[in-house]
Amino acid sequence: MDAQPYLVEMKGVTKEFPGVRALAGVDFRLRADGELRGLVGKNGAGKSTLMNVLTGVFPADAGEIVVRGRSFSRMTTTLSRQLGIACVHQHSQLIGPLSIAENVFCGDLPTGRLGLVDWDSVHRQAEERLGRLGLAIDVHRKVEGLSVAERQIIEIAKALFAEAQVIILDEATAPLPKHDVELLFGFVRRQRERGVAFVYISHYLEEIFELCENVTVMRDGRAIGDYRVSELTPQALIRAISGADVERFRHAAATVAGPPVLSVRGLSRPGAYADVSLSLAPGEIVGLTGLEGCGKDSLARGLFGLEPVGRGEVLLEGKPYRAADPREALDRGVAYLPRDRHGLGIVGPRSIQENITLPILGRLTNLLGLLSRRKESVLVSELIASLDVATPSAAQPVEFLSGGNQQKVVFAKLVSVRPRVLLLDEPTQGVDVQAKVEIMRIIDRLAREQQVATVVISEEIRELLDVCDRILVMFRGTIAAEFPTRDPSTTVERILHAVEGASQP
Amino acid sequence: MRTRTPSISLLLDNLIWALLLVAGVAFSLLTTRFLTVNNLVNVLVHSSVLGIMVIGQSFTLVTGNFDLSAESTLGLVAVAGAFLMTAAGEPSNGSGLMLNPAAAVVVMLALGLLIGAINGLLITRLRMNNFVVTLSMLIIVRGLAFLLTQGKTVTRLPESFKGLGHGSLGPVPISVIVLIAAFLVASLVTRSTRFGRDLYAVGGNREAALASGIDPDRRIVQVYLISGALAAFAAWVELGRLGVGATRIGEGMIFEIQAAAVIGGISLFGGRGTMIGALGGVLLLSFINSGLNLMRVSGFAIDMVRGIVILAAMLLDAQKLRYRQPAGRREAAARLAA
Repeated sequence: MDAQPYLVEMKGVTKEFPGVRALAGVDFRLRADGELRGLVGKNGAGKSTLMNVLTGVFPADAGEIVVRGRSFSRMTTTLSRQLGIACVHQHSQLIGPLSIAENVFCGDLPTGRLGLVDWDSVHRQAEERLGRLGLAIDVHRKVEGLSVAERQIIEIAKALFAEAQVIILDEATAPLPKHDVELLFGFVRRQRERGVAFVYISHYLEEIFELCENVTVMRDGRAIGDYRVSELTPQALIRAISGADVERFRHAAATVAGPPVLSVRGLSRPGAYADVSLSLAPGEIVGLTGLEGCGKDSLARGLFGLEPVGRGEVLLEGKPYRAADPREALDRGVAYLPRDRHGLGIVGPRSIQENITLPILGRLTNLLGLLSRRKESVLVSELIASLDVATPSAAQPVEFLSGGNQQKVVFAKLVSVRPRVLLLDEPTQGVDVQAKVEIMRIIDRLAREQQVATVVISEEIRELLDVCDRILVMFRGTIAAEFPTRDPSTTVERILHAVEGASQP
Repeated sequence: MRTRTPSISLLLDNLIWALLLVAGVAFSLLTTRFLTVNNLVNVLVHSSVLGIMVIGQSFTLVTGNFDLSAESTLGLVAVAGAFLMTAAGEPSNGSGLMLNPAAAVVVMLALGLLIGAINGLLITRLRMNNFVVTLSMLIIVRGLAFLLTQGKTVTRLPESFKGLGHGSLGPVPISVIVLIAAFLVASLVTRSTRFGRDLYAVGGNREAALASGIDPDRRIVQVYLISGALAAFAAWVELGRLGVGATRIGEGMIFEIQAAAVIGGISLFGGRGTMIGALGGVLLLSFINSGLNLMRVSGFAIDMVRGIVILAAMLLDAQKLRYRQPAGRREAAARLAA
C-alpha cells in the first residue's frame, strides 16, 4: 500500500444547527508531509464549526473524515486527540498559578516511590522536552507571568508532547502584539519543518500571506476556494471571502436637515480612544468599524454610561451630555444594543413581555407603585407585531426563542424607550442570513420613520455598506477614515485597507 | 418542539402543587388525624415563622443571592427583643430596662435592617462573596445572641407583645393571618411592581439588567435589607408563639428555609420562581412534619426525612436547569458556528 497523500481529508461534511446550515458539504485536506494552511472567511462562514467537527466537538450530520487513510464517520474529542489532532484557542487553556513544568505534565506528573511527585524529574524532563523543540525557558516560572505568545507556544509544545500531528490555531494571534506574532510564527515554522501540519484560522489576512503556504476560503458554510498563497493577491483573497450576498438590503438615505442629534468633539479616554469627533444627523445611520480593540466598542459603552466616557465634549440635541450610568443614558434617549446578546441583552428565564418593558417600568407604574398590566400588554403586543417577533405569546421565556427572535426582542426593548440615539454593537452577530436582513430593515425603518440617529458598530463591512449612510473607520483609538456609502469610489477593499491601518491608495 | 419545551417547563415550575396534593392525600390515608380542621390550622400556625423567613430568603434568591445569616438574625433579634422588655436577674434573665413592647419592636426591626445592611454592603460595595459574607454573619450574629444573655433563656415577656404569635381573631390565629397577608404582599411586590421585576432581571442576567437601566447593586442591598427586616418580623411572631426568648431560636433552620423556597420553584441560580410557589414549598414541609408526627414516626427519622426532602429539592432545581440546557447549548453551538 502506498503512502497516503493526505494526513487529514474531510469529505462532504455537513452540519446543521436549528435555523442555520453551518456546513454544507465541505471538503478539506491537509498534506501528509505537513503544511501551513490558512482557513479564512467571514464570521459565520463555518471555519470554527469545521474545525469543531474535525476535533469531534460537534458530530457531523453527514460526511466522512479520513485520518492517515482510516475513515471515520463519527469523530469524538478523545478519538481526535488519539489521532494527533489538537486545537490551540485564542484564550489559553493553561493553568495560570502553576509553573510551566507543572502545566506541561498536567494530569501526568511523574511520581517516585510512595506515589509522591518527583519534582526534580518534573523540572528536568520539562526542560529536556522543551529544549528538544528549541525552547530555552525557565520551567519554574508560573504561567500567569508569561506573555500571551509564550503561553500559546507552551500550549503548542504541550500538544506536540502528546504526539499531535495536526495543530489548529484558532484566531491565535488576535490578542498578540506584532513582536509576539513573530515569535509565535518562528516557532510554528520550525515545527512545520518537522512535519507537523498547522491549520491557521485568522481574520488578519496579511498574516495568512506571511505564514501560510495554502489557504482555504469558506463562505456561508461552503469551502469555496483552495489557493496557493504565492499565486494570490490580497485583493483576490478579499473578494473570495466577501463574495456576493444571498439577498441584499439597501438603505435609502433618510437624513433630515437640521442640527445634529449627537455631536462628539475631541473625546479622549486613555487606553480606549483619542480625539474622537463625530456628528449624527436625525435619521442618519453611521457605521463604525475597525479591528478588535480599535476603540469602537469602548466609545459606544462610554456614551451609554457603561464605562467612563473620558475627556471631551458631547452634545445631545444641543445640550451637554454625559451618562454616569445606563439609567441616565436611557432617560436622555440614548439606547444601546450590546454585542453579546446572552451576556448583556436578554434575561433568558423571563418572558418576552418582561424583557421588553424592563427599561420603562417607571412609565408603566401608577401612583400606588403598581404596574399597569393593561398598558404593558398593549405596548408589548404592538412592539411584537411591529418588529415581527415570531412567538406564540408574550409570556414565552426569551431563552426558548431563536437567536434572530431574541435579537428582535432586544430591539423591541430599545424601541420602547423611544430613543433619539441608538448605539448598536454587532446587531447581526450570530443570527442567520434571513434574520440579518430583517434586522437591517428594522434599523432602516427606525431611522426613516422616527428619525433615530443610529451608530452601527460592526466588522461586517458589506453589511455596513448596505445599511449605513456613512462608514467611519477607527484605528488605534482614532477615527482614521470616513467613507460615504453612496460614493461609487467606496469599496470593501478600500475600507478594509483603512481598517488594517494602511494609508489610502 | 418549540411549543413542547415551555409546557414541560411550566409543569416543572408548578410541580409543587402536585407534590402538595400527593402528600396531603397520602397522609390523609395513612392517619385519620391529618385531615382535620384542627390539624390543618395547626399546620398553618407552625408554618408562619418558616413562611416569613422563606419570603425574606426568596427575595435574595430571586436576585441570584442568598442569606445564610437569616436564621441567626431571627435568633439574635428574638433574644434581644426579649432581653430589652424584661426584668433583670432570675427568673426573667432580662436587661431590667423593661422597654415597652412598641419600642422593642422598633429596635428589633432596626437590628434586622442593620444586619441586612452589613450583608448587602459587604457583598456589593466590597465585592465580597455572598457565601462567605452571610456564612460569617451566621456565626457572628449567633455568637452575639449567646453573648447578650450569657446563653440564658429570657422569660416573662409582656403579654401585649405576644399577641402576634399567640393571639387569635375569633377562631383564626393571628399568625395565620400574618402568614397569608405576608405572602400576598410579597407576591404583589414581586409580580406587579418595578422593584419586583428588577429583582428577576438582576438574578436572570445581571449585565442585561444593568444595560436596561437598573442598578443591580442597589437592588441587592435592598433585598438583604428585606431579608433582615423579615427575619426581625419573624422573631416577633416566634417570641409570641414560644413565650420565651431562647438563644437557640432558628438554629439550623436555614436549610429548611432554602429547601422550602427551592421546592416551591424559586431557583438557587436566580431569576426564576414565584412567592406563591414558595408558599407551596412551606406548606409541603409543614405537611411532612405534621404527617410524620401524627404517625408517631421517631424524631430522628423525621430529621432524616427532612434531609432527604432538602436533597430532593436541590436535585429538582439542578434538573430544571439541566432540562433547559439544551436550548442554551444549541445557542452556544450556533454562536460557535458564527
